[in-house]
Amino acid sequence: MEDGDQRVVDLVKELVHRLLHPSPHSNPQNPNPSFLSTQQTVEYNQALKYSLRILSSRMTLSIAADDSAMAESIKRRLATTGKSSEALAFADIYAKFSLKSGPGSIKNKWAVLYMLKTISDDRKVRKNILSNRMPSTSADVGGLPTLFDNLDISSRDFSDSRARESIEKGWNGGVLMVAKDPENIRDMAYREYAVLIKEENEVSEEVLVRDVLYTCQGIDGKYVKFDEKVDAYVLPELIKVPRCTRIMVRKLCELGWLFRKVKGYITESMDRFPTEDVGTVGQAFCAALQDELSEYYKLLAVLETQAMNPIPLVSENASSGNYLSLRRLSVWFSEPIVKMRLMAVLVDSCKVLKGGAMAGAIHMHAQHGDPLVNDFMKKLLRRVCSPLFEMVRSWVLEGELEDIFAEFFVLSQPVKAESLWREGYRLHPAMLPSFISQSLARRILRTGKSINFLRVCCEDRGWAEAATESAAAAGTSTGRGGLGYGDTNALESLVTEAAKRIDKHLLDVMHKQYRFKEHCLAIKRYVLLGQGDFVQYLMDIVGPELSEPANTISTFKLAGLLESAVRSSNAQYDDPDILDRLRVKMMPHNKGDRGWDVFSLEYDARIPLNTIFTESVMSRYLRIFNFLWKLRRVEHALIGVWKTMKPNCVTSRFFTKLPSDVKLQLILTSRKCQVLWDEMNHFVSNLQYYIMFEVLEVSWSNLSKELEVAKDLDDLLGAHEKYLCSIVEKSLLGERSQNLNKTLFTLLDLILRFRSHADRLYEGISELQSRNTDTGSWLGEGRKDLTKRAGEFLRNMGQDIDATRKEYSSAFEGFISQLPIQQHIDLKFLTFRLDFTEYYSQLRPNTGGKFLK
Amino acid sequence: MPREIITLQVGQCGNQIGMEFWKQLCLEHGISKDGILEDFATQGGDRKDVFFYQADDQHYIPRALLMDLEPRVINGIQNGEYRNLYNHENVFIADHGGGAGNNWASGYHQGKQYEEDLMDMIDREADGSDSLEGFVLCHSIAGGTGSGMGSYLLETLNDRYSKKLVQTYSVFPNQNETSDVVVQPYNSLLTLKRLTLNADCVVVLDNTSLNRIAVERLHITTPTFAQTNSLVSTVMSASTTTLRYPGYMNNDLVGLLASLIPTPRCHFLMTGYTPLTVERQTKNIMVSSCARTKEASQAKYISILNIIQGEVDPTQVALSRKSPYVQTAHRVSGLMLASHTGIRHLFSKCLSQYEKLRKRQAFLDNYRNHPMFADNDLTEFDESRDIIESLVDEYKACESPDYIKWGLEDPNNHLTSEGNATGTVEP
Repeated sequence: MEDGDQRVVDLVKELVHRLLHPSPHSNPQNPNPSFLSTQQTVEYNQALKYSLRILSSRMTLSIAADDSAMAESIKRRLATTGKSSEALAFADIYAKFSLKSGPGSIKNKWAVLYMLKTISDDRKVRKNILSNRMPSTSADVGGLPTLFDNLDISSRDFSDSRARESIEKGWNGGVLMVAKDPENIRDMAYREYAVLIKEENEVSEEVLVRDVLYTCQGIDGKYVKFDEKVDAYVLPELIKVPRCTRIMVRKLCELGWLFRKVKGYITESMDRFPTEDVGTVGQAFCAALQDELSEYYKLLAVLETQAMNPIPLVSENASSGNYLSLRRLSVWFSEPIVKMRLMAVLVDSCKVLKGGAMAGAIHMHAQHGDPLVNDFMKKLLRRVCSPLFEMVRSWVLEGELEDIFAEFFVLSQPVKAESLWREGYRLHPAMLPSFISQSLARRILRTGKSINFLRVCCEDRGWAEAATESAAAAGTSTGRGGLGYGDTNALESLVTEAAKRIDKHLLDVMHKQYRFKEHCLAIKRYVLLGQGDFVQYLMDIVGPELSEPANTISTFKLAGLLESAVRSSNAQYDDPDILDRLRVKMMPHNKGDRGWDVFSLEYDARIPLNTIFTESVMSRYLRIFNFLWKLRRVEHALIGVWKTMKPNCVTSRFFTKLPSDVKLQLILTSRKCQVLWDEMNHFVSNLQYYIMFEVLEVSWSNLSKELEVAKDLDDLLGAHEKYLCSIVEKSLLGERSQNLNKTLFTLLDLILRFRSHADRLYEGISELQSRNTDTGSWLGEGRKDLTKRAGEFLRNMGQDIDATRKEYSSAFEGFISQLPIQQHIDLKFLTFRLDFTEYYSQLRPNTGGKFLK
Repeated sequence: MPREIITLQVGQCGNQIGMEFWKQLCLEHGISKDGILEDFATQGGDRKDVFFYQADDQHYIPRALLMDLEPRVINGIQNGEYRNLYNHENVFIADHGGGAGNNWASGYHQGKQYEEDLMDMIDREADGSDSLEGFVLCHSIAGGTGSGMGSYLLETLNDRYSKKLVQTYSVFPNQNETSDVVVQPYNSLLTLKRLTLNADCVVVLDNTSLNRIAVERLHITTPTFAQTNSLVSTVMSASTTTLRYPGYMNNDLVGLLASLIPTPRCHFLMTGYTPLTVERQTKNIMVSSCARTKEASQAKYISILNIIQGEVDPTQVALSRKSPYVQTAHRVSGLMLASHTGIRHLFSKCLSQYEKLRKRQAFLDNYRNHPMFADNDLTEFDESRDIIESLVDEYKACESPDYIKWGLEDPNNHLTSEGNATGTVEP
């Protein structure tokens, strides 16, 4: 092949040489350049190059390669031009030619024919040009383009005008003739204009167009290059172009700049992805951008092919439309530049963001009136949000937090099971995209949280069914990719359905499996002393034990006593599981504390109920217990006093036998005691009734009502919190009633002290009674002594009781005057109960706060 | 330690109302006529052991002692449908079966005579309970056995179980119609003395009022004992509900009574119940009450306990739990126990009737036959009269705001309660 090629080249060289320089003396094999003039050499070289190009071209003709048809066409042409004899001769020759075959014969018969025909045509045309001054275009002929016309295409860079000149000089010959033609005048003007442009521009438009296309792919062009300093693609000042072109180029290159930015972000993110936290949303964003860019590449490819076409002059026929000028480019670029700008803006604003925040930021940009922008953004967002929505879906339906890059707006924290609900998960406001509303987000959070709660704390499996059901109801599959940006309604309905069912299931589990309400009731009955008989027995049997110093009391013994209180009261019929959770708890004690101060009952809630009955909740229950227990103890003490001074015990006896002054003293003292008891009992029992009706029962009935309408665990928690708060607040244990509470405890302590006085008094009386009846020791002196001692004793007791009463009265006065200051409305009921007869309120203004004298 | 309460049913009337009471309790606790727990009532929640104890064979047996000097009523019970309910060892019928002849003295005397038998029964029953709370005595004060033997039992109980409570359900005679018991004023007076001195709490069941309710409100022209007794049993069972269904408060008799009776001597309680149902007729009515005199408008409440049962909204009123086994026509029912000074008119009336008889020295012979009144020693009558009078005085004093000063030099603060039955307890 080498040899064949070389031979062909040599032949072509010779042919060119001969055609251009018909002088026989020149050696065709070795054309001597010195021999030829420079112009000749140049022409020679051009022609040679051109012919080689034609030969090596792969272009095919539009005519079918049929030699007989070609022969026919030649024949017909000869016939039509009136050379019928020649036509006959041609036919004869052609028959011989076509028959010729075998070695040495011409292989490509059709081609030979075609060449001959073309040469003949060419000659004819040339004649026509010369005679008719017709502009020569290859289009007229339909065959091969004429050599020099084509020449100006191939050499448009620098030799265009010269080629034209050579045509004009070489072939047209008569300039005058040309000048006479009006069409030619215009043509000439254009040509001159083009020449002017050429002179003005160092760089032609085509080159610039191509450069711009390069820059739009982020590549420096031949002239247009990226300038770091101005951060833009610029045409260097040195290159001489008109200002408008420069500006145009600059404008068009903005696309390149934007592209550079977008592309840079994508590559950067993609490179970073596995190691650093770009996140799935970021990744999706990159992928979406990449897709947009590939659209853009397609466009560029098209434009690039068009850029191959020359820019025709205005005069030239518009039928050859596929060329690119800078202006055309700017039209082409109008849409991509908008998109690219958007992308660049997004890239800019999302550079530091990730996950939901990124989606939210993009969403913010999507709020645009331009439908183009809007559509574009929606498309982008659908891609970007799909990982996010997938997270929502799996969170809401499966409770899975597939969020290794911390992109989701739900955050999990490793916590103990009991605080899973409260602290285990929380919303990450920064990651919450703005198209998901706060309330929806909260519902999403809670639904997934419920599932996790069920899974972790309740060890429940039933939620899966509920989740499937809810997915079916919402019309989305449980599989991946069911949701997307834009169908907020679908998301909303999915979340709503899921939340509804999961919450219901969770409540079912809480109520049925874990019997939340029963435990509440158990707490009310045991810790809040609602089970009266149980409390009574407990009080009876642990009472003596608790009077001991706190450090001598054994918890085990108390636990045993608790057990027996349970067994001997109706509590024994309660669920063993519930009873099992009831424990004795000894609070840390100080020196000098009695058992009463440290004893308390505790209820072990266990998982999952300890989500509701947390430690802080239980400590509040403990405080309520301590208060109620104290109150109960005081009540118990007062009843004990009543029993000792019970009407039929003393009064009916023997007093007739006593000396009258002692008798009077006795009656007086016991009466004082009685009256003080009445007052104390009035206070305590009304306080108790208040606690029972206004505080415990009312709060309980409110709780029951709220539990019935509770829709999710948060409602449940809220209802319980409200219940507890109302009890704490109303039983004067709240922050605001600390003073009142203090006074109250003073009062209660006074009552306990009164009890010991009363006990002593009646002990003394009964001693007196037994001595009195003991007639054996009835000696004159002894009797007198006894009487004296009795009188003294009674007087002392009377004074003690008086003192107690005084103290009690002032404390009580303080208490009742503080009551109205309290803000809590229910405390009004307490005032009302305590002062039902308006006895105290009448007393106060008159005595100015003093009860006595 | 269920804080047991032992019921003593003395005399004809006492046994009758006692019988009704136990019937009602059995219904409420789901205990069959044979003392066996019905299947539907096996779950706990109520305290049966306050009034019943469980025999080895799962029988629930009332802590009740049936005592009478004549066999008629008790035989009726023992042959009736509830015959298997009672412990047969707890039945006492005097050997001769002659009764007390509506004579207080005879009843009292016979009580003394049979003291050993009676106290044996009581002691046995008391020993059988872990933490005896007290006794409930059902009797009438008009007849012979209930009043006389009842009085004797009160004194003895007070002596022997001075730490225990003694509550009585005392039926006061119908004073509007001439009774067949002519000596009724004597009997009442003598019994009242013991009720005043030896009982801790007396729930007054006034036959006058009961009859009036039956006639005027329920339109029963001639109320039978069964009908009035059913009223009584309703009141009795309702007043014990807080003991039988434990709640936050009033879980024992002492606690219940302590607030109700702030002054030792004024321990006579009147009751009101609503709605009353006798043979499907319903009325909102007070059961026992004071005489309707002009003075009644001066009367004051010393204390009130309202026991309201049923489906009550606790945000509105007090409540007690209710037996789930008894179907009632009403979702809510209420009992009021009140210490009301108006009760003194009842005693005044007793006194005046006594005075009438005493002036004429009528029917005293029957009494003189007995040791207490032997040798025409009628000081017992006078003493009783004095005590009742002072009781009336004390009640009267209660009506004045200066009650605290009554019998006391020191002016002192005390709550003289006046007002209406709106709250729960108002001493």
